[in-house]
Amino acid sequence: MITTILLDALQYLGYILIFPGFLFCFLIGMLLCGIDRKLVARMQKRVGPPILQPFYDFFKLMGKETIIPAQANRTVFLVAPLFGLAALVVIQMFIPIFSFSAFSGMADIIVILYLLLIPALSAIMGAAATGSPYAGVGLSREMVVIISCELPLVMVLLAVAKTVGDALGVGLCFSLSDIAAYQAVNGSLITKLSMIPAALAFMMVIPGETGNHPFDAAEAETELCEGMLAEYSGAPLGVYKLSHAIKMLTLTSLFVALFLGGLGTGIVILDAIIMVVICVVLTAVCISLVHAITARLKIEQIFKYYWTVVSGLALISLVLAWYGL
Amino acid sequence: MNFFDYHHFPVYSIMVLFLGAFLIVLMGKNKTVRNIIAFAAMACSVACMLALFKPVMLEGEIISYWMGNRSIAGGYAIGIALEVDALGLFFGLLISSVVFVAGLYSFQYMSHDDNQQQYYTLFLMLAGGVMGLVLSGDIFNMFIMIEILTFAAVALTAFRNQVYGALEAAFKYLVVGSIGSTCILVGITILYAQAHTLNFAQLSLLIPGNLNNATKLAFALLYIGFSTKAFLVPFHPLAADAHGAAPASVSVLISGVLTKSGIYGIIRLTYFLFQTMGLGSMQFMLVFVGCVSMFVCVTMALAQHDFKRLLAFHSISQIGYVLTAVGLCTALGISSGLYHAMNHTLFKGLLFLAAGAVLHETGTTDLGKLGGLSKKMPQTTILFLIGAFSISGVPPFNGFASKWMIYQATYQKAVESGNIGFLLVTVICLVTSILTLASFVKVSQSVFFGQLPKEYENVKEVGLGMRFAMGLLALACIVSGLFPELVTTYITEPAAAAVFNVGNYISAMGFDGSAVAAGTVSFESVGVWTPVSWLLVLCIALLAITIVALAGKYDRVSAHEGGETVDTKYQLFYGGEENVFSQVGGDDLFWGFKHNWKGYFNFMHDMHSGIVNDYALWAVVALALAIVFTQIVL
Repeated sequence: MITTILLDALQYLGYILIFPGFLFCFLIGMLLCGIDRKLVARMQKRVGPPILQPFYDFFKLMGKETIIPAQANRTVFLVAPLFGLAALVVIQMFIPIFSFSAFSGMADIIVILYLLLIPALSAIMGAAATGSPYAGVGLSREMVVIISCELPLVMVLLAVAKTVGDALGVGLCFSLSDIAAYQAVNGSLITKLSMIPAALAFMMVIPGETGNHPFDAAEAETELCEGMLAEYSGAPLGVYKLSHAIKMLTLTSLFVALFLGGLGTGIVILDAIIMVVICVVLTAVCISLVHAITARLKIEQIFKYYWTVVSGLALISLVLAWYGL
Repeated sequence: MNFFDYHHFPVYSIMVLFLGAFLIVLMGKNKTVRNIIAFAAMACSVACMLALFKPVMLEGEIISYWMGNRSIAGGYAIGIALEVDALGLFFGLLISSVVFVAGLYSFQYMSHDDNQQQYYTLFLMLAGGVMGLVLSGDIFNMFIMIEILTFAAVALTAFRNQVYGALEAAFKYLVVGSIGSTCILVGITILYAQAHTLNFAQLSLLIPGNLNNATKLAFALLYIGFSTKAFLVPFHPLAADAHGAAPASVSVLISGVLTKSGIYGIIRLTYFLFQTMGLGSMQFMLVFVGCVSMFVCVTMALAQHDFKRLLAFHSISQIGYVLTAVGLCTALGISSGLYHAMNHTLFKGLLFLAAGAVLHETGTTDLGKLGGLSKKMPQTTILFLIGAFSISGVPPFNGFASKWMIYQATYQKAVESGNIGFLLVTVICLVTSILTLASFVKVSQSVFFGQLPKEYENVKEVGLGMRFAMGLLALACIVSGLFPELVTTYITEPAAAAVFNVGNYISAMGFDGSAVAAGTVSFESVGVWTPVSWLLVLCIALLAITIVALAGKYDRVSAHEGGETVDTKYQLFYGGEENVFSQVGGDDLFWGFKHNWKGYFNFMHDMHSGIVNDYALWAVVALALAIVFTQIVL
């Protein structure tokens, strides 16, 4: 009795700390980040940093001195990065890797949508706590980007819920594990006509949510000096860089879970590898390629783009899903 | 006669509040006596309501209570009656507890004001009025209670009449509030003329089968009357003025209690008196008004630059959620709507108290003037953030739990009814939630974070009494968010069951209500959300990360240690420019969003002229529309 409980506890601890939790997120997120930087460099005819550069950067930052500005609220300043990172790791554990999910039945897609706010929100709170005007402008833009992405994301998720719910005969289905199970049997959702615009919209949301080019108005290095990160240094900055890397993994793997769930094999390790490969491809297409060929948009342009073009695509999908196409 | 029989408790819970008010007038000169009387009255009221929890909520008893031992004579129920079902008790519990917390807060918050005797008298009158309203079993008593609470609220709005705008706000409230009260009175008169009774249960029996043009008119009048009490669109500007001018503890009552009484009235009107909610057009009306209130008020809130006015608009935006959910006429809808009503009372109370704390210490609530208070008022900041995250629907706080149920309810309604319009409602609900978050990010940046202006360098944390009251509400926000199942099972589902079983309500008064169709309140949640396990996993992850970070010398920080001159490396980064005060905050924070909507915002700015004639005109137009609408569809 006690041994089974202990074993269960150990298993869950393993989930949280190693796979698909902290260690997995750390390694794959950093890898995605490194690949992204290399790809962008190659596309721009530069040599680019080694793929392991994000790891070097991270460990270098961990060893640096952390300066807390005299005006800052010390507690919020130091806790916010850690809290955001923890929240991200937890979301990653809720996203099923094809048929495998570490914690099934704890959160559905609407909850995931809101859990995704927590890392952004803790970054905003940390930035606000510094009192820096650069951070102030940065967080205001970050919030506008969040608002911009929210509308298309909501409609994409509702479209998915309706499509799967229709197919399962229950009307709607918000549960991620049910969506995964449905796709394992009936093939990936992206093969449905109504889901193609939604998938496109989601791909356009990915760079916005991660704050990559051309939607990086919030941290615009050249004008805002990294905006929300302006006052951060040392270990907390390293944690932010890590969170940014993990966010790329979270969003791309959420895409896989929502639209490409039919590619799984049933063997966890193989599934994880397949997922990582797709994540790399998605990162290359949605983040690196877009980064290399675009210039930064102004904040009001970002808002307009998301609420017209991307939301329009998502809306098409929602209407198609509504009529069962 | 046994005075401690629980059947007497409803009337006690109203009576003690009024008694307290009169006693304070008579012998409240001394501060200690006054506070003891007020405290005792509020505590007794809460205790009476809590004692009713078991029989009414858990065992489903409906208490009917006749004043002066009257009863039904000649087939008509004439006399003053109280009737407490689970719905009434739900609101009664909510109201008495929030009155209690606001009262606790007042003891310290109001300690520098003059005329405290009058303040507590009015405060208890307002509380007693609302309690009487939700527990009353006949419609004329409801009207009397509405009059009492409206005038107490008007007087309390103008209580700090030295504040700029207080009298004006009270005047606006008085004018439009009186239009609402008059509508209710005329509506009641028409019903009395038609049905020859004022008893709620008997009216619910007689009216639904015998709708004629006169009763339809009464419906429109009563609807408009109750929506002025709930400040639904188009009555929302009043709330902003009233909240901006009133003391924070009164704002808590206006937002947490008065608006709920309006929602209560609308539920009683539509589900009980007329039983019209089966009609698609009625559902459309409530959901439409709910969505408009939700969206218009959240955008209005984004444009505000006063802490309390911003909260006031949010208050109506959240009431919009409640009305939308209630208007769906599904078990999940009502249950989630009531859950949200409860949560709104808790988090909005907390936020108003936090705004009051800021006002108490700094003397202003202008977002453009404040900043950086988190270093001076750390505990208030934490409490404010709990409230802000709750209202914005950030998991795992209570606002998320109830909003999440509302999203499901609206989407389920869309699928079940096949009406694509409800899909839009879901999207509006979700977008409103994110805009709410945005405006609270604005408040936290402009008030609690950012740079501290010179004149607030000596600001101190508020007193223990005020922090205690806020702490109570914050705790309630967290608990009701972490255990949504408990709240729905024991509190909102019995209340929703009461809404769907009007027959029982009628029978409890002594009439035969068996002909009225009964409904069930079983519903299945389409989503999954287990906040406790999520929190557990988050805590483990946070702990693990913290341990790793500390092992990696995360806390190897160098911070500025006192002293006048600050080493340049601890100063903020200005890119080589001169280090000047440059707080980013106030109403321009979300410029990127507002720029795209400038047509809309300019239109809204012009519409909300602040002239009471305009608002009275809106009331008349709304009334006309409601009359036309009800004549056509009912």
